Amino acid sequence: MKAAIQVVLCKCCTEMPALLDMAMLEKIASETPMVMSVKTVDAICDGKNLSEIIREVKEREIDRAVVLACQKKDISPALFKAYTRAGINEFMIELVDIRDQVVLPHQDDRAQAQAKAEAKLEAALARVVMLAPLVRSVEEMKTRNVVIVGAGFAGMAAAQAAAKTGAHTILLESSGKTVKAPGVILTHSKVLGAKGYGGNFQLSIKAGEKVEELGAAAVVIASGGGWTKLKGPLAKACKEAVPLYELYLSIKSGNQIKGPVIVVDTPDPAGKTLRVQDYAWDESLETVIDLKRRSPETLIYVVFQEMRAFGLSELAYKDAAELGVKFIRYDKAGAPRIDPNLPGVLTVKDFSQGEKLSIKFGTLAFASIPANPDNMTIADALRIPMTAEGGIRRGSVQRGPVSTPRPGVYVCGSAMFPKPREVAQAEGQAAGAMAGEYVMKGSIEFGGSVAQVTAEKCSACLTCVRTCPYEAPFIGTASKAEIKTQLCQGCGMCVGICPSKAIELHHYTDDQIAEETRVLLGGDL
Amino acid sequence: MAEHMPRIVCFCCEKHGIDAAVLAARSGKQYDASVRIVTVPCSGRVDGIHLLQALDDGADAVFVVGCLEKNCYYDTGSIEGRKRVNYVKSMLSEAGIEKERVEMFNTASTNAWAFPEAVSKMVEVVRRLGPIGKGGEQQ
Repeated sequence: MKAAIQVVLCKCCTEMPALLDMAMLEKIASETPMVMSVKTVDAICDGKNLSEIIREVKEREIDRAVVLACQKKDISPALFKAYTRAGINEFMIELVDIRDQVVLPHQDDRAQAQAKAEAKLEAALARVVMLAPLVRSVEEMKTRNVVIVGAGFAGMAAAQAAAKTGAHTILLESSGKTVKAPGVILTHSKVLGAKGYGGNFQLSIKAGEKVEELGAAAVVIASGGGWTKLKGPLAKACKEAVPLYELYLSIKSGNQIKGPVIVVDTPDPAGKTLRVQDYAWDESLETVIDLKRRSPETLIYVVFQEMRAFGLSELAYKDAAELGVKFIRYDKAGAPRIDPNLPGVLTVKDFSQGEKLSIKFGTLAFASIPANPDNMTIADALRIPMTAEGGIRRGSVQRGPVSTPRPGVYVCGSAMFPKPREVAQAEGQAAGAMAGEYVMKGSIEFGGSVAQVTAEKCSACLTCVRTCPYEAPFIGTASKAEIKTQLCQGCGMCVGICPSKAIELHHYTDDQIAEETRVLLGGDL
Repeated sequence: MAEHMPRIVCFCCEKHGIDAAVLAARSGKQYDASVRIVTVPCSGRVDGIHLLQALDDGADAVFVVGCLEKNCYYDTGSIEGRKRVNYVKSMLSEAGIEKERVEMFNTASTNAWAFPEAVSKMVEVVRRLGPIGKGGEQQ
């Protein structure tokens, strides 16, 4: 195999020479066949010596490089840009994180550190020879639409943030309420299905009575909680009971609230189907204080298992008590009940006093609410995972706190699990801004280090189809597995699991990994 | 007899795993220099053959570091990785090799002590078991 390798050693100011014998590393590098140039620079992160490196690349017709420095995030992007301009493919650059893997963790073991650094250099040289150039493809987005599912607090905040970036926002609201937000607002509409991938989604939506197709570059899910679907014995016994959210909206719009008011933490106090949710405490306190300030003569009871007001909300607890809100604590044995023969009376055993109380009420509100039943359809359409409670599950935090595992789909607010309004709004802003930014890139990049099927070896066993979390593999027309490059994220799960060894992950092939391991363990270069 | 220098290979996932190793290094943690890291995009990429080949090439122990199972960058990658490691463990015990030589660890990228802890566990295993195949020769 023909190759022309350049080795760049970064001194990292004085850190590397203080521990490692740089001359020895240079000697190993220059004595390896096919290494055309060895460069030692003071610090690669400042980009000072770039011109020298690139001059050498051009003079000696270098086609691949080994860079011994630190992790990729810390190396100046200018280096990669310069290499690309000089004609070196971005996948032909082998980075060795010598600083974080050798220099920093082995400060007091000079001999071992040197041996490890040499092994790492040799392994990188062995690997770089096996690398192949890969091309990333670019696909234009057909629209600049950010579709926001749900126009609650989170959805409206998302629309505003997305509109600021310049994207077209389309809000889908399942009810008929009036929404003030930038962009197109479709009331009585829902997502039914979706095709495509981040950047070019083709949604099928129900707007009014009609089913329509809608192109979208990014989707923000702000479907909220299942405010309309209360379940649990208390909700069954009292049909007029409302979720706390609706009580809050009613207070805000100046409606007369029929007293006395009881706020119970969950409609299922025995806790079989619906647990008390974190947000219940803060929201209950805020709502009852608001109500008490507006109409001080209304009697208010807060019935709860434990009151865990977070942070400064603890002050709200004090405020509420001072305003005359009655707090009644119960445990599961003395859970609140409503006798069907006596509607309008809640019976609860006060845990602190041990007394049985019967409270007459005009309005009953529940702080905990179940997940939105629409989540199932949305998750199914966009192929994203759900939580056990029925909310939308977000992806790894490394993708961002409002991202789902699928690129181009963001989730915010109570769609994940019920949240206070401020949190939902802040998340909405974040999701809207991220979706807007994603859309305004105008194109998606894909390919590069992705999986590829060797059709002859494939036995169409469907293992890869079932394993991939992104649903990239599918059985094509030739009855063999194929991989949709736009969907492939390059994790290589299908490669490891394929029983016929028919799939290969570019840039991390079995041979490359095996060779690197062999040389790292002291095998011959 | 001179003390046996352990040789350990770590297949480290490119996301949380490598970040944890870098964080450990940058927060001044020191660990045994016998560990050689091979970067893979995801712990789900690790195939049984990589682990076995590493043992064949002279490693005394091999371990895989991946994301936390509920916070995996590729959603189910670290669960897949653990399945492979468990499969290799069962193969090793059939072949008469101690299955402790292969291990899987999960870590968050913000966890500075997880990586050094994993390393010290594996070094401990190698110190206890010695080089591979030694038990067989003695019998």
